[in-house]
Amino acid sequence: MDRLIQLGTDIAGLWGTYWKSYLNGIKNTLILALVATLIGCVIGFVCGILQTIPYSKTDSPVKRFFLALIRAIVRIYVEVFRGTPMVLQAVFVYYGLPYFTNNAIMFNNIWVAAILVVSINTGAYMAESVRGGIMSIDPGQTEGAKAIGMNHFQTMVYVILPQALRNIMPQIGNNFIINVKDSSVMFIISFTEFFAAHRAAVGATYQYFPSATIEMIGYLCMTLIASFLLRRVEKWLDGSDSYELAQADQLVMSAGTYSHPNRGTPFDEHSKEYQDRPGQKSGRGRRKGRNHER
Amino acid sequence: MSGEAILEIRHLSKAFGNNEVLKDIDFTVRPGDVTSIIGASGSGKSTLLRCINLLETPTGGEILFHGESITGKGVNASGYRAKVGMVFQSFNLFNNMTVLENCVVGQVKVLKKKKEAAKENALKYLDRVGMAPYINAKPRQISGGQKQRVAIARALAMEPEVLLFDEPTSALDPEMVGEVLEVMQGLASDGMTMLVVTHEMAFARDVSNHVVFMSEGVICEEGDPGEIFSNPRQQRTREFLARFARG
Repeated sequence: MDRLIQLGTDIAGLWGTYWKSYLNGIKNTLILALVATLIGCVIGFVCGILQTIPYSKTDSPVKRFFLALIRAIVRIYVEVFRGTPMVLQAVFVYYGLPYFTNNAIMFNNIWVAAILVVSINTGAYMAESVRGGIMSIDPGQTEGAKAIGMNHFQTMVYVILPQALRNIMPQIGNNFIINVKDSSVMFIISFTEFFAAHRAAVGATYQYFPSATIEMIGYLCMTLIASFLLRRVEKWLDGSDSYELAQADQLVMSAGTYSHPNRGTPFDEHSKEYQDRPGQKSGRGRRKGRNHER
Repeated sequence: MSGEAILEIRHLSKAFGNNEVLKDIDFTVRPGDVTSIIGASGSGKSTLLRCINLLETPTGGEILFHGESITGKGVNASGYRAKVGMVFQSFNLFNNMTVLENCVVGQVKVLKKKKEAAKENALKYLDRVGMAPYINAKPRQISGGQKQRVAIARALAMEPEVLLFDEPTSALDPEMVGEVLEVMQGLASDGMTMLVVTHEMAFARDVSNHVVFMSEGVICEEGDPGEIFSNPRQQRTREFLARFARG
């Protein structure tokens, strides 16, 4: 119990001194994770679409060559960036580019470097998710779209991708949450996200455990809120469970909506008297009444 | 059976690897024809229909649409498909769209119609198949028969010259078959040119004016429905029809 109280006091002390740095870290982590996940999704979608362009034996050799080349490039990209640690990718990009270009290309803005690395990494994972998402859609959907004359691009944009996006939404959420946590390795290129705030605080105070507790709670809060929001987005994408019958529409003449105001009076067009009136036999009021022949 | 042919199938063949599914198919569809293609499962009926809509690439022969080949190189398949509607056994409605959007999207994106005009047109055809009240429903929320009627409306909304039906009632339970056949019968009596692969012998006999009986990838017999059903010339046709007569 004593230790818990002690921990509480230490956390309060740390927070009192470094709250600005912690909050700034949280802000930077969230911005980095969000932007990089979005860019990563775009990369993933582009790669996924490129990989699933169909070709047949009857296509020209040039087209087949280019498609094979694209697939090979995407394959290499995916395997390399999925198969190496992000912390090393950060070092490679951040220090490698100036190294190879004799400092012609340098990252003056640490944000650019961080977003670039996390995006490329996310994109590699997303490429596979999108490919899987596209393959999971029933081929009948493609055939239905082709049968009304859509080309490959239209089929993808209006029919397949919206459904694939819904199916890979959990994957996108996964990637976002992973990015919230794993962007912590960006401290290696001195990006000041949430974990960097921890390093700064303990560097000055040596209070490793209290600061780590703040970090744990902070990361958990971010990811819990993120999963909650992602569920809401999925619900929203699913749309309503019910639907309204559109009987109020004037183009719809469905049975049962006509209230028969003249029912029981001599003007009731269904009554025998009305129909037997001289000169009315062929001229009944409702032209749509094909069901009234008897 | 008059006027210029819309579709001419000439020596059409299709093979999947070594498996020859269609062999030397020849027949003609004229405006207003309602042609039923009947035959046992695996006789190549569906493949024939899919070849006609270029969902499968024929391996031999040619298909002429208004006298022009659509099987040669450099043919705009999408443009051709927009003029030839298709209704599938498994409906293939777009799951991400409502009933109305299903019928609108092709008109707007392929035919480049204005959204309002497309909507009005879609409502006209949805009303015709009795699905106008359900325009806001998603495909997963309606029954099989209703889905198939929407699929028919979707094809009609493109105002095709020919409508292909690939076993439109085979995935439906018996009470829903009726509502779909009723719609198809209405279309036939309005003069729509239709090519129907079906197991509904009553439809083939009573509604169509031309019957093609296929067996093992060839057209075994074709002609007037009255003649084929009452007086088949080929042994295989007799056997096939006898099985259906026994029920």
